[in-house]
This record gives sequence, structure tokens and C-alpha cells, in this order.
Amino acid sequence: MWFPAGVERMHWVRRSLRQGRSKVNRRAVLHLALLVALVTVLSVAYLMLVGGTAARGRHIQQLQAELFRLQRENEQLEVQIAAESAIVRLRERAKSLGFVPAERVVFVP
Amino acid sequence: MEIPRRRLRLMSALLSALAMVIVVQLVKVQIVDHRFYKEWGREQRERSIAIADPPRGVIRDRAGHLLAGNGVRYSVEAAPVYVVDATAAATALSPRLHLPLGQVESQLRSDAPWALLAASVPKETGEEIASLGLRGITVRPQWVREYPEGSLTAYVTGFCNADGEGFYGVEGFYDDLLRPRTVEWHGPVDPSSEQIPWAVAPVVLPHPGTELVLTLDRTIQALAEEELSRSLAEFQAQGGTVIVLDARTFEILALVSLPDYDPARYGELYSTNPDLASDPAVSKQYEPGSVFKVLTVAAALDSGLVTPETTYQDTGHIEVGGVVVSNASHRAYGEQTVADILIKSLNVGAAWLSTQMGPDLFYRYALAFGIGRPTEVDLAGEVAGRMWLPDDYEHWHEADLATNAFGQGLAVTPIQMVTAIATVANDGARLRPHIVARRIEPDGQVFTYRPTVEAQVISTATARTLTDVMVRVVEEGVPQAQVPGYRVAGKTGTAQIPIPGGYDPQGTIVSFVGFGPVPDPQVVVLVKLERPRTSTWASETAARSFARLMGRLFIVLGVPPNDGLEVAGL
Repeated sequence: MWFPAGVERMHWVRRSLRQGRSKVNRRAVLHLALLVALVTVLSVAYLMLVGGTAARGRHIQQLQAELFRLQRENEQLEVQIAAESAIVRLRERAKSLGFVPAERVVFVP
Repeated sequence: MEIPRRRLRLMSALLSALAMVIVVQLVKVQIVDHRFYKEWGREQRERSIAIADPPRGVIRDRAGHLLAGNGVRYSVEAAPVYVVDATAAATALSPRLHLPLGQVESQLRSDAPWALLAASVPKETGEEIASLGLRGITVRPQWVREYPEGSLTAYVTGFCNADGEGFYGVEGFYDDLLRPRTVEWHGPVDPSSEQIPWAVAPVVLPHPGTELVLTLDRTIQALAEEELSRSLAEFQAQGGTVIVLDARTFEILALVSLPDYDPARYGELYSTNPDLASDPAVSKQYEPGSVFKVLTVAAALDSGLVTPETTYQDTGHIEVGGVVVSNASHRAYGEQTVADILIKSLNVGAAWLSTQMGPDLFYRYALAFGIGRPTEVDLAGEVAGRMWLPDDYEHWHEADLATNAFGQGLAVTPIQMVTAIATVANDGARLRPHIVARRIEPDGQVFTYRPTVEAQVISTATARTLTDVMVRVVEEGVPQAQVPGYRVAGKTGTAQIPIPGGYDPQGTIVSFVGFGPVPDPQVVVLVKLERPRTSTWASETAARSFARLMGRLFIVLGVPPNDGLEVAGL
């Protein structure tokens, strides 16, 4: 049963349902069903839209996090390269390879 | 029946009243205080959180070599309430953080909502801990300033503390530009203040600080540092400064002071010797001594008072304002020319010139050369030096006119002195010395520094005449400063060190400022040594350092010699 028993004042509803074959009532039910379907479709569409938006937002967050990670990596690597090619290192390397300061320089015209 | 009806009425009245209260309250909440409650609700679910932590702007030398960059370290933090197995987590963390097991475990078992386990661990360690995926343990990346060249550029770069604040040098002067712009996102957050992506947030790109490209050449910097280090050892000096300036643009090519420090370990500096942090080239003033005679002679020549051949009688002493000024050698030289005042470094001649000019003219030129005021170089912590002027009745005495003429009774910074001599090398035009060549904004816009003439202090003709005299100073007076194959100009300065009540009899500050090659000077070099022990005279110490450094600079800069194409004896 759709309605609780003993609800006397709801007799008109039950009567209407019993007379469900009437054209007017069938149309009303159809309209109601359409309305429910429309609301359902809109709700699902809205949910999909919000869900998609949230997923995109999350994806952007992840991309940004990756961007920042790569930037940190890049900065760190640049510092490491600079430290490896610092003047002090180059000087040590040159000495170990047997280079000495020039004592005589000739300019080529 | 009366009673129930009365009760009904009473109940109705009460319910109506209650309904009215609710309606009034609703109106108050929904309409009258609408804004307040709306804002309150928004504050509860929305926060501003920093989503981008961009790096500080980097500093490079003129060839693009990194002088100050950004490394990554990690802080390891714990939220004890979320830690599942404190013993296992402590066992995993303790050896990696080099902390006692008991200490880590007690922190993980504490009631505190948050605990810092390690403030700064290397990148590899941080990433290794992050990969363990320990619940309740957060590994947070943080920027740390790195100086790949170490102490070589310490006084140029200055340093940056853990909070990202720059001090001294370029870091201090351009702190506002170098600081990154923190990007904040405002919107709904979850209970742990994490962003809830209800909407597509605008794409945030990192906005690092401005990149600075300096005029400094790290090769020249290394040469200057090497020569200064050698000079300190050879002449047993306590400290020193070398500045190399481009003679045409006043770009600082090298700026070195010793002893120095490692800017990455600025913390140790404050516990050992905090005075070492400030750059002696811009912050430490000294009496320049005889180098100042160049400015005195320049003023006298430019004002038309004398020519290099003008003569005077050098009796070995001169009295000005009740003070007797003598030559350093305490000798009388007889008839001397103005050129001889520089070549033989005669105090009496310099005092004679300044008294001939009078205070107005003498100090007008001294100020125009930039003495007694900051050069406005773009390095933090510059001081103005000290030069009392005649209108300062409390400090200035007539005798100052005589002593100032040969660099006593006033104080300058090395950057002021090298700028003043560079003015002579640059045909009398004084530019502002600078160390930043260009800045590159995060959006790629490039701003290049364009040198501007601060003052035409002396005429081109005077500057060239004076340059010829300064060449004779090197050739006839201080042959120790000669550079094989090149014509260079310069002047020595041997100054006593003022102490309360007079001058320190124990030591001197020696300096040599010169430029070359003449007639088309490329670089101006200042060498200043503090309290050398092997000799107290600049001609025996600083002049030799100047000659050696200048010789190597010409080679590095590709400047061919004045005579021939071969340079030997480097």
C-alpha cells in the first residue's frame, strides 16, 4: 500500500487510483513521471558535471604538484652542476692535469 | 468543556508566541544578520593556503655562471595521533635521521598534535623517507640558499637566512626583488586544511624572484682573490681588499676582501666573528693617505691654478692653522714641480696646493669626486666615509685643509677611492659604480642597467694631463707597480691608522690605485692591505700586488701590450 491504513481523509486519492484508467489521471501520472525523469536526468547531469569538475581540479592540483617537484629538481641540479664547475674545482682539476699558469703570452694580430 | 477550550486557547497563544519568536529569530538571522552569518560560515569552510612555494631569484655572474642558487632540503614532521606503529616508524626513521631511537620514539608517542623530527635533511634522505609511506609522517620540501662558488663571492652575494631574508651584498640590497611571490589559493578546504577541488582552480604557475645578472666576472674575481691571498701571505698583512672596475662603465668586475667567510654557513659566522659579515669594500672606512693627492692635484690643475710644470719651494715643512706638516721622509726637496708632488709623494706640496686653492675650491672638488658621501653602489651596507667641511665649525679646523690634501684627517671606503680614480681614467666623468648588469623578471622581461654620468668632475684635458703624470708616478716614482709591456698609471697610499689620541705607531694601511693601459684604460684596480709586516710602505707591498694582478688581468681581458705583441715574465 502507498498510504498508511486508516487515513480516512485520503479516500479521494484511493478513489483516483482506482479510477486510474481515466484519461485525465493517466496524463497526470505521465506528466509526473516525465517530471521525475527530467529531474533525475538533470540531477545526474549536474552530478557528472560537478564530478568532472572536481576530477579536473584534482588533476590540475596533481599537475601543479608535479610542476613544483620538477622545478625543485631543476634548481637542485643547476646548483649541483654549478658546484661541480666552480672555480675552486676547475683549479684543482687543472692542477691535477698538470696545467700551470703561462709565463709568456703572444698576441696574434 | 470550558477548561479544555481555555487550555486550547492558551496553548494556541503560546504556540503562536513561540512561532512569532521563531519567525523573528529567522528574520534576524536570515535578513538582519545575513551578512555576518554568511561570512562566518564561509570562514569556517574556506581558507587561504599557499599552493606555490617558488624559489628565490638566482644570482649569476656576467657569463651566466651561478653564484647563488636554490637547493632543496626536507623537514621531517610527525602527527603522533596518526602514527600507527610508533616503534616501527622510529626504527625506520632513527638511522636515516641520525637521531637516537629513544628520542624519535618518544616524539612519536607524545600527546603533541605535531612534532618536528628533523628541520633540514638532505634531499636524498627526505625522498627516501617519503617513499617509506609511513602514516603520520610528513616530509616537507624547503628551499635552501646555495652558493656554488663558496667564499669566493661571499662579499658580493652576501647571504640569505632560513626565512628567506637577504643580508649584505647583492642579497641584502636587492632582497625585495629576489624574494619570490608566494601564490595563495582561497577556497574550501578539508579538516586538515587541504584544498578541496570543488571547482577548477585557476592554474598557478610558480612566480620565482627576479634573476640578477651581475657585472662580476668570476675568472677575474678568482684572479683577484688569488693575488690578494698571495699578498697577505707574502707581506704578512692582516687583511685586504681588491676591487677591479671597468674604466669606461664603472662596472665592478671583481670585489674581494680577505679574510672572508662561507655564505652558506652564515650561522657559524655570527657565533665566531659577526664583524666579518659586512663587506669591507663598502662598509669599512680608512684614511687613504697619499692616493688622495691625485684628487688634490686634479682640483688644482682643473681650476687653472697650476700646471704640472708649476714650481714651488719645498722646505720640508709647512705650517697651516698652527699645525706643521712635513714630508714623509722629513726631507726638504727645494724647488719642485706640481708633477713631483705626485711622483715623489710630497705632503708639503699637497698642503701647499690645497692652501693655494682655499677650502671652498678644494672641498668642492673633493665632494664632486664623491668623497664624504655614498657612491650609491648597489651593495648593502655602504657607509659615507667622513670628511669634515669648513661650515662644520665643531669639527673642521684650518689644519684639516692641509692634512686632507694628502689623505689624512678624512676617511674613505675602498669603493669611493676606486671610483674617484676611475673618474680620472674616464676622462673626468664620474659614473655610479654598479654590480648588477641586468635583471630578468619571471615573465621574461629583461631590464638592463644603463650607466649614467653622475658628474663631469674635471675636464677631459685635465684628466689626460693628470693621467700622464700618474704614468710618470709609476715609471719614475714606483717602478714596483710597472707591468711589463703595458703603460699603467697609479698612485700609492701609505696611511697611518688613527687610534684615540693620535695614530697607531705599529702599523699602516697601504694601498695602490691605478689603471691601464694608457692611453685607453680598460680597468681600474685598487689594492688595499692592512698592517703589512714585511714593509710598512705601499710601494713595497700594494704596488707589487697591483703590478702582478694587472699583468694577469690584461691577459685575461685580451688587452694587447703597448709595445709589441709579446708579454713575458708573468
